[in-house]
Amino acid sequence: MTRIEPSSSRDISMDRTAKILREAAGLLRGPQRIVPLALKLGSDALGTKIEPRTLYTYAATSQPTENALRSVMGWILRARRRHGGIAAFYSLLSGYSEPYPEVTGYLIPTLYDFAHHRADEAASRAAEQAARWLLSLQMPSGAFPGGLHGLAGGPSIFNTGQILLGLVRAFRETKDATLLERAVAAGDWLAQIQQPDGSWSGAGAYQGVSHTYYSMVAWSLAELAATGGGAEHAAAAERNLDWVLSQVKPGGWIDGINLQGYPFFLHFIAYILQGVLETGLLLRRKDALESVAHSSWVLLRKFEIGKRLAGAYQPGFGGGMKFACLTGNAQMSCVWLRLFEACYDQRYLNAALKMNEMLKQRLTVRGPGGVVGGVAGSYPAWGAYQPLRYISWGAKFLADALMLELRALHSLEAACAS
Amino acid sequence: MRLVILCSSPYSETSCATAARLAQWGHTLAGAITLPSWDRITLLRKLGQWGARESARYAWAKLWPGRETTAQQVRNPYLKAALQARGPLFRNLHEVAAAHDFPVLTTADQNSPASLAQLRSWSPEAAVFTGGNILREPLLGIPRFGVLNAHLALLPEIRGMSSPEWSLLRGVPLGITIHRMDAGVDTGPILLRREFAEATECGSLTDLRNRMIARGIELMGEAISALEAGRLSPAVQADREKDHQFFVMHDRLKALAERRLRQRKPSPAAGQTHG
Repeated sequence: MTRIEPSSSRDISMDRTAKILREAAGLLRGPQRIVPLALKLGSDALGTKIEPRTLYTYAATSQPTENALRSVMGWILRARRRHGGIAAFYSLLSGYSEPYPEVTGYLIPTLYDFAHHRADEAASRAAEQAARWLLSLQMPSGAFPGGLHGLAGGPSIFNTGQILLGLVRAFRETKDATLLERAVAAGDWLAQIQQPDGSWSGAGAYQGVSHTYYSMVAWSLAELAATGGGAEHAAAAERNLDWVLSQVKPGGWIDGINLQGYPFFLHFIAYILQGVLETGLLLRRKDALESVAHSSWVLLRKFEIGKRLAGAYQPGFGGGMKFACLTGNAQMSCVWLRLFEACYDQRYLNAALKMNEMLKQRLTVRGPGGVVGGVAGSYPAWGAYQPLRYISWGAKFLADALMLELRALHSLEAACAS
Repeated sequence: MRLVILCSSPYSETSCATAARLAQWGHTLAGAITLPSWDRITLLRKLGQWGARESARYAWAKLWPGRETTAQQVRNPYLKAALQARGPLFRNLHEVAAAHDFPVLTTADQNSPASLAQLRSWSPEAAVFTGGNILREPLLGIPRFGVLNAHLALLPEIRGMSSPEWSLLRGVPLGITIHRMDAGVDTGPILLRREFAEATECGSLTDLRNRMIARGIELMGEAISALEAGRLSPAVQADREKDHQFFVMHDRLKALAERRLRQRKPSPAAGQTHG
């Protein structure tokens, strides 16, 4: 998730302080949020103290996956704002945020997947409404703005890529030619401003520099190329894939996250892996799959042996901050499940089942609509990643992971039955 | 052969049956090193493995046998013969030790200096691992023939946890491997590797595990006797570096493994593959 941000460390720190104060002031405007906040802080404090982690942690089903999926999708549908955009987060201090174009974009495939899975008309309508709202935000260049809606953000490479994922999927579902036309315009803009080495940097890039997690942008271009886009979109995706793969270290770590002022959150590491994996699958690049499998296995071992993944790592997967970045965990579950589908190694499925189990146990079942079924930024809630917020991209990746789990188990059960 | 038993708990049936069987075969038990009965990690592991009700029933039967029948006191019925060989049922390691006259050291860390010193003083030719800590290099090097483990799968194909279940799910023949432990996870040299032919008689994964544990004890005895007679030499695992490690299996996959178990037909080719 990217935003247009100030560039120096001092600016970043001041900006962050201002945000915290603004959000904390929200509690004065909404005192009804004090009780849910206290309950969340209390339960996380207790949970982190007493939860035992053993070999068998998360190896049994605590609640049916279908129930958890319905709960998470309920949160996403309640987070819809005016005109169909979806809020970035529900803050325990200030309530719902403004709608967020980037996340609304990549929530469209999730909404359609759920609509097909449960024959849910409401989810399908929400996806179409979201796509229409996004079209209203497109710039003449084909780009989409960064930041929350209403903040007059400039063109953003990453956000355009994530919205492109949604537009391509909406076109596949509706066959509305306007959607494809606008998607191609977005893809053309991304291809035009790409650097010769395959990376994206400059004005539309977060902090102006290149990032390997923009492999998620390459994924969107590869999707476009496979859905009526041109060879130039596939070529741009492939150039970025080559650049990202050139940043992979022998131990599986991938350099080039390049986020000044932030630790290497698991969310961004998982973004890189998801982007490379999906681009590699679409472009039939075996080297990309092998690279993702190698890096993912490092994290799988850490999860299986330590029963948790750190919220952020040092380069080389060293160190590790103690809180859990729940979004990153859900993303890793998606990566493992897609690897299972690609190479049929059941160890990936096994790890994902346990990861999903852990995430299901973190879902809140009682409280206001912005809390129930939501995925907190961090566990405990005061961790470094999106503290005291339930974030829509966390819900998106958990819903994706749960649907992938159901699909994977269904295919394995069918194989066992035959 | 002069042996030491390494155990996860004095109440471990597998440890008690292993010690009793090895003594019955005429080996000298120099001692046993066990984790305490209230070791937190072992208790949590058993809770996760068996569930609260089954763990409580087990603890009750071991600590307050009272009116429980012998069958109720033994969790693994295939170990009953070994545990009852001298008449009354051995309920813990101390009772086996009293019957066969060997000392038991209880320690929170089998790798601790005190534990290593005790092990050296017993001068074992081999140690038999039935559970406990992850063993470190100083300990592994003390017995002349090393520390031996009965792994419930064929090595090197399936290393690590839930090994019978993974064998079923991956379509690898069920088997047992007696190997000499090293610093890796089930990567040490192989002494004996046998396919397990009785799987077709098993009605559940629990039954399969119980039978394999009992068979593993018999194979351990066979391997030690062959090692002592110089008829067996450890074979280094071919693809030691390749990652064949498996982790605790989730219940959803276990259900599929169990389905595979029930689908199995007798295999005419099941037999010895090494040793």
